[in-house]
Amino acid sequence: MDFLANWLINIPGFAVPFALAALGLIFSERAGVLNLGAEGFMLGGALAGVGLTLNGAPPLVALGGAMVAGAALGLVFAVLVAGLRINHVISGLALVFLAQALTSYIANENDWANQSFAGLQDLVLGQDIVVWATPLLCLGTVWLLGRTRFGLTLRAVGENPGAADAAGIDVTAMRFAAIAIGAALMGLAGGYLTVAVSKIWVDNVVGGRGWIAIALVIFARWHPWRALAGALLFGCIEALIPRVNAAGWAVPQYYLQMTPYLATLAVMIWSAARGGDRWAQPAALGQHHIREERD
Amino acid sequence: MTTGLALRSVTKRFGGFAALEEVDFVAHGGEVHALLGENGAGKSTLMNVACGIYAPDEGRVEIDGKAVSIAGARDAAARGIGMVHQHFKLVPAFSVLDNILLFNPGRPAAEVGAEAQRLAARIGFDLPLEARAGTLPVAEQQRLEILKVLIGGARIVILDEPTAVLSPEEGTALMGLIRGLADEGAAVILVTHKLHEALHHSDRITVLRQGRTIAETTPEGMNPAELTTLIVGEQIVEEPELSSHVGERVIWLNGVELAGDAGRRGLTGLDFQVRAGEIYGVAGVAGNGQSELAEVLMGLARPTGGTVWMDGENITEAGPAGRRRAGLACIPVDRYRHGLAGRLSVADNYAVNGVLAGRYGGWMWLNRAKARARAREAVEEFDVQGVRGMGQRAALLSGGNAQKLVIAREFEGETRVVLAHSPSRGLDVRAGAAVHARLRAARDAGAAVILISDDLDEILLLSDRIGVLSDGRMAAEFTAPADRAEIGRAMVSHGDD
Amino acid sequence: MATTENLSLRERATKPRPAFRLVPLLEPRQKVGETRRIAVYAASLGLAALLSVLLLAVSGVPPSDLGTEIAATAFSSPRALGSVLAQMAPLVVAGLATAIAFRANFWNIGLEGQMILGAICATAIAIFDIGPEALRLPLMMLAACAGGMGWIAGPAYLRQKLGVSEVITTLLLNYVAFNLLLHLLYGGWKDPVSSFPHSEQYEAVERLPQLGWQTLTWALPFAGILAAALWWILSASRLGYLLDLLSANRDMARAVGVPVAGLSLAAILASGAVAGLTGFVISAGIEGRMTQDFHVGYLFNGVLIAFLGRNHPLGVVIAAFFMAVLVQVGQSLQVFFGTPFSLVRLTQAIFIICVAGSEFFLTYRMNFRSAS
Repeated sequence: MDFLANWLINIPGFAVPFALAALGLIFSERAGVLNLGAEGFMLGGALAGVGLTLNGAPPLVALGGAMVAGAALGLVFAVLVAGLRINHVISGLALVFLAQALTSYIANENDWANQSFAGLQDLVLGQDIVVWATPLLCLGTVWLLGRTRFGLTLRAVGENPGAADAAGIDVTAMRFAAIAIGAALMGLAGGYLTVAVSKIWVDNVVGGRGWIAIALVIFARWHPWRALAGALLFGCIEALIPRVNAAGWAVPQYYLQMTPYLATLAVMIWSAARGGDRWAQPAALGQHHIREERD
Repeated sequence: MTTGLALRSVTKRFGGFAALEEVDFVAHGGEVHALLGENGAGKSTLMNVACGIYAPDEGRVEIDGKAVSIAGARDAAARGIGMVHQHFKLVPAFSVLDNILLFNPGRPAAEVGAEAQRLAARIGFDLPLEARAGTLPVAEQQRLEILKVLIGGARIVILDEPTAVLSPEEGTALMGLIRGLADEGAAVILVTHKLHEALHHSDRITVLRQGRTIAETTPEGMNPAELTTLIVGEQIVEEPELSSHVGERVIWLNGVELAGDAGRRGLTGLDFQVRAGEIYGVAGVAGNGQSELAEVLMGLARPTGGTVWMDGENITEAGPAGRRRAGLACIPVDRYRHGLAGRLSVADNYAVNGVLAGRYGGWMWLNRAKARARAREAVEEFDVQGVRGMGQRAALLSGGNAQKLVIAREFEGETRVVLAHSPSRGLDVRAGAAVHARLRAARDAGAAVILISDDLDEILLLSDRIGVLSDGRMAAEFTAPADRAEIGRAMVSHGDD
Repeated sequence: MATTENLSLRERATKPRPAFRLVPLLEPRQKVGETRRIAVYAASLGLAALLSVLLLAVSGVPPSDLGTEIAATAFSSPRALGSVLAQMAPLVVAGLATAIAFRANFWNIGLEGQMILGAICATAIAIFDIGPEALRLPLMMLAACAGGMGWIAGPAYLRQKLGVSEVITTLLLNYVAFNLLLHLLYGGWKDPVSSFPHSEQYEAVERLPQLGWQTLTWALPFAGILAAALWWILSASRLGYLLDLLSANRDMARAVGVPVAGLSLAAILASGAVAGLTGFVISAGIEGRMTQDFHVGYLFNGVLIAFLGRNHPLGVVIAAFFMAVLVQVGQSLQVFFGTPFSLVRLTQAIFIICVAGSEFFLTYRMNFRSAS
């Protein structure tokens, strides 16, 4: 009973980074930008959170800083992918490499690594404010994308940039905006990871969660509520790992560490095999927009 | 005072190339004005100038007699210019209403919805506002495009090749609708290459050729031959010429079925045969199974039922490689999808058959010099122009020359069956005639030629026999010379179960 | 009537618009000359180098010292050159592995996982003394190939049969492989001599022999032979031609009868096999055992080298040499200036971004002329 309660109470903390990152990815990908930079934006946010906290900023300010850091990296990515129209995959990888090197360098220069801190405190029921805010953010995303003219425009850019262009929409500007919003959310996800969960910086603290979030979005068919459900699923798995051995089950430690990645693979295979709604994936995902110049 | 749109002495250059040179074009309110010209004559550029997508290098645009400068798509819409593009500017995943809203920003959804319904009712549409645009039939998607433009308050309506995707009957209905718009005072510009549309449904005709205005005239007293001469600049008259010698059947389909799915039409019980020395035309409105039939014949799609035979052998299970070895040549509909790799050189594009057949060496060595020399010969033999060197990228060829390169490659070696899918699409009249001559030559040399085309004129011109594809089945079969109207009726029949 | 409106309209029509637009209109380039290609490529490398030097200067390495440092670490003595060349061998192999996959339009981001599996399989042969001693090395090599291939086979299958993006599957498998490696090295394969988490030392017959010059082993010639062989296959054989066709236009290749699925599968598996060999080259050619972090950074390096080398085997060799110098310089900066190694990583990231960005100037022409 103790095990179960302990497990359940820890799930939201593990689920929130996935959920926030997935929401951020949905923004970007609904605008047609295939975003493999998630890991990078999360790292940027994670580092900003640590840096600000260690310099005395209150946790909420640190989280705000994490969003700004994510958005700043997002602008770099936007210049590459929406401005210079570099291949989406290469842009995403380059951004992750950049963020890995940059965060590790800055943390090293400032001696931020391996210094633990108090971080974000719980609010109610053993959960902090971000946990409570996440469903609201999800609701906000659903509303913004589905019910507003901004969302309509953003989705049009992701579905058919040619049509959006013909309607007088600035496709490039729209993609910049979508990437920046998304990257800010992913920065928040990373910041939460350090400020509220690990409460310490180590290099590559994100540990592949960005990639898992990408898979999660495919699994959720680019829909915010389903992404939230998927994030909970992964939260369950991650929250379980540290508790399995304590519960007395002898599963080798490193096999246990593999489980989130294997679970992600399983989820990807399952959603591919299931096929499904052909309208779910943004039709222009990963495509650049160039207006045809001649007849 | 003149109402409507006037383009005065408009010149537009791209780099050194003048797409438009001092073009004059006036469309008055209340009239349907046909803009005729070949591909590359400058029609689309001119209309893009009218819509503010390009600004003219010289000359000016006038609306209702006042010179204006249009700053882009939104500005054009605000000034009452609306364009219905040949390739629809729709978001297939959006509802009809969302598509309309996208083009009419800043207005409440409820108001736009109500106006859409009112307008639709007035011009006789029935559009489900909540339906996904991508699930509508093509003709209804086009109506949505028109509605989108009209709700924006367009008084100058430009339609670019609007009947290309419609059946003859749907086309006629559209012409009626256009007339109605003109009667209400709109200036309707009909960009087309179909002579009969210009002759029967317009009040005035402007002809463009090589970026210049060649003529402005009325349809009265014009005949198709005169109009063709104006458009092409010379007289190219292709006459039907039936086969003189028909031999044994070479390729035949036996009850071929292909399961359809989202975005792909199925084929049902296809039975037909093509004999040596004949051209078998497959007519039909685009989207009735032509692409699927072509894929089945090329070996790209495996039928879910029935059999395909070639020279007495069952080739149902054979892939593209096996069929080509057996003598199948393909001229695909989209040259840069199934025909050529634009990024690679002319020589590499030509060489592929020879490489696969092992003519330029085994697996570990490729004799590129030999392949290049062979390509050079073929380029000369098939009169592919604009090739500065064998290393030039294929993407740089013009449409007609790219098509010639495909034909040169496909007709290398012995050809038993030719599959040509809309082989003159996007080509000018001269290049189209050259392609047609190659098909006739292949037929006369004893090949069985299958011509799939949604251009009924092309079918009637070339075919010895004609099958009509409708809704994935062969609705009727005719022997040339066939009656155009009867074929048109078969095109819209939906099979008798 | 409506004179003001008329006036404003006329004003709009006659007022000259600025002749220059801030956001250029993009026009796809039809053709790119060889001179332009080289100039743009050189400019992007130059810009990256400039940014890197600036970055180093900011973090306390004066540009003048940097020049001498590069000369000293890489070219001053046979010993320095020898250690650069030793660094280069696995980088060449890693770059080749990535380049093969990229040429087949398969984003193999799983190099590290495949390396680990390659090394695990080779090490298994070494630890359990499988096969006669004379055949031990070839066996280890084959095992490494098989391990790498096995690790990429899953993503290849998923991509071809189910359309699952290989970017994510190959990447996730890196984490799985790494945990497998730790499981072995902290478990049954722990070095019995020192009890450290690395494998026992390979016997002499299980290591690539010394070349007899500096510390170099046969790893370097091995990498050279591999590069030459791949160069031949990719540029002079039928396979290479068909692979070019496949990556330029897959639909067309299929329509003209190229065995598309088989060919890309072959290229993908080859990429996995070469990735496995990277693990073998490091373990048997450099370290003499399987360590727990031998793979770190190779994914990044592989992508960067393939990218800088334009997926061409000879380009890969040149880029790998360049990268080996950079790594070597980075290590010496670490010693003499206390520069963190992450700074070297950062300069690498700058290079990748600059070179990727240069593609834009080859693909598009920017038209700054105003529309009117």
